[in-house]
This record gives sequence, structure tokens and C-alpha cells, in this order.
Amino acid sequence: MSDMTEIQEPKEVGNEMRGEIRRISSHSRARRLAVSRMMIALCAIALLVSAVPLVMLLYQLFKQGLPVIDKAFFTTLPSTPSLIAPNATGGVSNAIVGTLALTIYASVMAIPVGILVGIYLAETESKLASSLRVIAQTMAGAPSILMGLFAFSFVVRDLNVGFSAIAGSFALAVLMLPVIVISTEIAVRNVPNTLREAGLALGAKPHVISLRVVLPASASGIVTGTILAVSRAVGETAPVMLVIAGGFTNSWKPFDPVSALPLSIYENAKSEWPSLRAQVWGIALVLVVFIFVLSLSARIWASRKQQVKN
Amino acid sequence: MSEILNESIVALELGDEAAGGYNPPAASRTWYHYLLLAGAILFAAVSVGFVGTIFWSSLPTWLHHAGTLLGGKGWASPLGPFGGLAMITGTFETSLIALVLAVIVGLGTSIAIVFLIPRRFRNVIATLVELLAAVPSIVYGLWGLLVLAPWMETTVNPWLNSWPFAKAIFGNPGQEFGTSLLLASIVLGIMILPTFVAISREVIAVVPQDLIEASLSLGATRWQVIRGVVLPTAKIGLFGATFLALARATGETVAVALVAGGVANVQFHLLYPGTSIAAWIATEFGESQGNEIAALMALGVLLMLLNFGLSLVSRWLVRRQRRVLALV
Repeated sequence: MSDMTEIQEPKEVGNEMRGEIRRISSHSRARRLAVSRMMIALCAIALLVSAVPLVMLLYQLFKQGLPVIDKAFFTTLPSTPSLIAPNATGGVSNAIVGTLALTIYASVMAIPVGILVGIYLAETESKLASSLRVIAQTMAGAPSILMGLFAFSFVVRDLNVGFSAIAGSFALAVLMLPVIVISTEIAVRNVPNTLREAGLALGAKPHVISLRVVLPASASGIVTGTILAVSRAVGETAPVMLVIAGGFTNSWKPFDPVSALPLSIYENAKSEWPSLRAQVWGIALVLVVFIFVLSLSARIWASRKQQVKN
Repeated sequence: MSEILNESIVALELGDEAAGGYNPPAASRTWYHYLLLAGAILFAAVSVGFVGTIFWSSLPTWLHHAGTLLGGKGWASPLGPFGGLAMITGTFETSLIALVLAVIVGLGTSIAIVFLIPRRFRNVIATLVELLAAVPSIVYGLWGLLVLAPWMETTVNPWLNSWPFAKAIFGNPGQEFGTSLLLASIVLGIMILPTFVAISREVIAVVPQDLIEASLSLGATRWQVIRGVVLPTAKIGLFGATFLALARATGETVAVALVAGGVANVQFHLLYPGTSIAAWIATEFGESQGNEIAALMALGVLLMLLNFGLSLVSRWLVRRQRRVLALV
């Protein structure tokens, strides 16, 4: 710093701060303001830059996705294009049925257990509870492909069930479980203790308090967390692609191979046929709209909860 | 309106400190508590089974081919040898570059959200960040493959190759589809951005107002407050957010599988195609049998260790941050 000037400093300032204070205070105010404005402007630019991908992505989804969606898209089975009929892509009804089946089976497996464990974590203090809490947090961030490996080793191979909807929904259930556990625990913990004490004062048994007082009071939080978990599972490709074998029929049967929307996106995106690569935007649009509707409904539940609280 | 949901997303990522809680006396336990306990034991069994089954399935590889998996260069389907070095280096390259991109843009974004955006617009921004996080990774992959890859091929790659030393950094493969390690890193960076922003925004927003006002009253400019007070106070938590974003990046699967090119070469030139651990498992698993499945499971074990380690570190950092702030 060429324009360094000597300044008197109080004795208490630590040595490590002294150089910094001297350096900063030696700059003129105009220069400091200029630097400040520039850096703040850079931050604003960063904000804009991070919005660009979302805007571009949504633009492409709607521009290329809307034209390929019609009634047949939802109701007919896919067909393979050929040289004679290069545009014969068919619909994706098998993937829609498959995704719904997978999601429903996975929810049936994961939601009851997840809510029980969440209540357990919130209402008890034990070694088991605190280690389960750490496990749930770690599992919630685990790479989803590992759920696929687990479902393959355990359900497809060891239980000898084969590639099926049930194996895929098992993978999704393992994926959803920690999310439901954590959000249920938070929701139950957020119930004020005065409610529990009021119940105790009336002579109610602990399980009656838990079931009749705490659960209703935390219901909307639990629902929000569960919807978030479901919406995360609906879009997952990696865990299901290892175990559901991509069936080509509209099957609701748990032991049949099924397809799923994310899986058809993956398959069609790599296809040689331009018609299939065009159709893929429609599938992605349907998937994204479905997930956004789910997340928005979670949001509405959450805001209703807040209004009730206020 | 979004606060609760945002809270819940951050809590999901990091876990909340256990606070208070209600403990029924042992004497009054009923069927209900045993039901809860049964659920907890089932969950414990699932998690032990999760780790145990994958490890057990990979055991043949660890016993006989551990060295090949960790240091071998080629992946010869279907009989082996199965070398994992290309996937390991690919994972680190793509996720570290993605991390650098996401942290630079994300830190600026978080600062802008907290200090520039008027309070009433914050919900809109929070919604956008959430939407970005809710878009499934396959859709990012699709966008990367069908929109970004052709653009990389026609515009970006030739431009990058006109740089000095470009050949040394990027290589010049003349890639057919524009899929490369660089594209995978960019797509990954976009995908982990919402995670990083959600947490770093929370960490920055809870820096005590007293500190900020004290600094302002001493004549500091806005940037000096951010640089000298906000960022140092939030430092540990920001590291936590960084580690968590890195954990996300290492585990991302289908997007990388679509845009990285899917070639098992140890490759440090970024414009060449490559792969990552997760992407390689996804693309190879369908046609594999026997030893190859064991080798892929062993790659899964590596991925699991990496991910669990990173997320434990990040949670420990954020907990320390909360304790630091409680002292201030």
C-alpha cells in the first residue's frame, strides 16, 4: 500500500487485527465504496447467473414438450419406430402406470414405518434413538444408486423375486424412509410441551396423548414431509433402473416388470430415432409438472399450518 | 409462507439438534411404545441391511481383486479385470470442478439473496431455489444431453480450444456429441447449486445483526461488512455447505451417465469423455453378471464410504457453526 499512513491504535486490539485495520483504514472512502459497489454488483450477477439454468430448462421443457403431448401420449403403449414409420413412437402409458404403481407401493411400505420411527425419535431418549437419528440423516443424503444396489442384492437376488415393480418400490421406499423419519420427528418435536402436559394433567395415558393430542397437532407437518419424500421418489431414475427391467405393458401387478417415466426418459434420450428424442421432452414435462404439483401442495399444507399457528 | 418448508429442507439436509423431547416413564409403557420400538428396530434393520448387503455382495472383489479395483485402469466386460481408477478419478474431477463452479456462483447468490433482495421478494427466490432442487436429475441430464452437448460441440469446445495451452488443459478429441467430463462438471454444478444456496443462505442469514451494525457504525462499506464480519462469522457453516454439496455431487448418477460420455479411461483432459463411479454402476449394471456385479458393488461401497464421510464432516461443521453463533 503506497498511501499507508501511521495511525494510533488502542492497545487492546490483537496483533493479528492490527495489520488488517491499518490496511483497510488506509484506503480512501471513495475507493472503498467503489470496491464495495463492484463486489455487490458481482453478487447480483451471480444471482442472475444461477437463475439462467432454471429459465432455460423450463423454456425448453415447455417449448419442446407441449407439442408432443396428446391423448394418445397418455393412453397408448410405446412402439419402436422403423424405417417405414420413423415417427411411430406410440405413447407412454406403460411408464405412467409403472410410475404410479411404484410410487403407491413404495408409499405403502415407507410411510407407516417412517412415521412410527419419527414419533419414536421425537418421544424417547435412548442410545437407539440417537444413533437412529444419525443413521436417518446419513441415509437421507445417500446416493440413490445405492438403493438400487440394495434392492437388487436383497429383493431381486436373495429373495429371488426377480426384476419387478416390488423390487423398484422397495428401493424407492428405502429412499423415502429417512426423509419421512426426519420430517416426522421435527413435526412432532415442534408440538409445544404444554399440550402434552395439559393431557397429562387430565390423567391421560402417554399413548393417548401421543395419538389424540400430539399426532393431530403435528399432522400437517408430517403430511408436508411425506409429500416431499414422495415427490423426491417419483423423479428418481437410478434406483429403479437397476431392478424394474422396463416392462412394456400396462401392469399394476407387483411382481411384473414395469417401466417408469424417468426410465423412459433415460432410454429415449439415448435413442437413435429423432422422433423418440422429441417425445422425451413430453415425458419430462409430464414428470416435472407432476413433481411441481406435489411440491406445491406440500407448500400449501405448510402455509396452512403456519396460518393456524399464527 | 415458505419459511417452514425452507426450514424443513435445511433440516432434512443437516438434521436438527435434538432439543427438549418428552420421555414417558418406563412404568407407563404400553403396547403403543412397543409398536414405536418395533418400527425403530425395523428401520435399524433396514439400514444395517442396506450397508451389510452391499458390502457382502462386494466381498469377492475385496478379497481377490482389491488392488485392481482401486488402481487398475481398464474395465474389461464381462470377465475382467475390472479396474476402477477411471471411475474414481472421474468422480473426483467432475465433482470438484462442479463444486468450484457452484461455490463461486452460490456464495454470490446467497449474499445477494440475504443483503440485496427486499424481504417481500425473498419468498419468490426461495420458491425458485426449491423448484431448481425439485427438478429430477434425469431432466437435468436430458437437458445436458440434448441442449447443452450440441452447443458445447458447435460453440464452446472450439472456443475453448482457441485458448493458449488449450491442448494441455482440455485436450482436443473432436468429440462427436459434445459429451465430456467438462459438460458433466457443468451440469453437476448446476444441480448442486440449490443445495449449496439453501444452506449457505441460512448460515449467512443468522449472522447476528449486532455484529453487522457495529461494523457499519465504524464506517465500513457494505462489502467490508460482508468480507470482514459476515463471511468470517459464517465460515465454518459455509465449509459445511461446501462439503454437503460435494457429497451430493459425488452421488449424482443419471445426469452424469447421460452427459459424461461413458468411457472408462483415466482422463485429465476435460474435453474427453469420462465417467464417474455412480454413472458407471448405472450404465454397466444391466449387462453384468457374476464377478462384474461384485466389482460394481465394490464401487458402490467406495461411493458409500465417500458420501457418508463427507456428509458426517459437513454436519459436524454446521453443528460447530451453530455452537459458535450461540456464544456470540
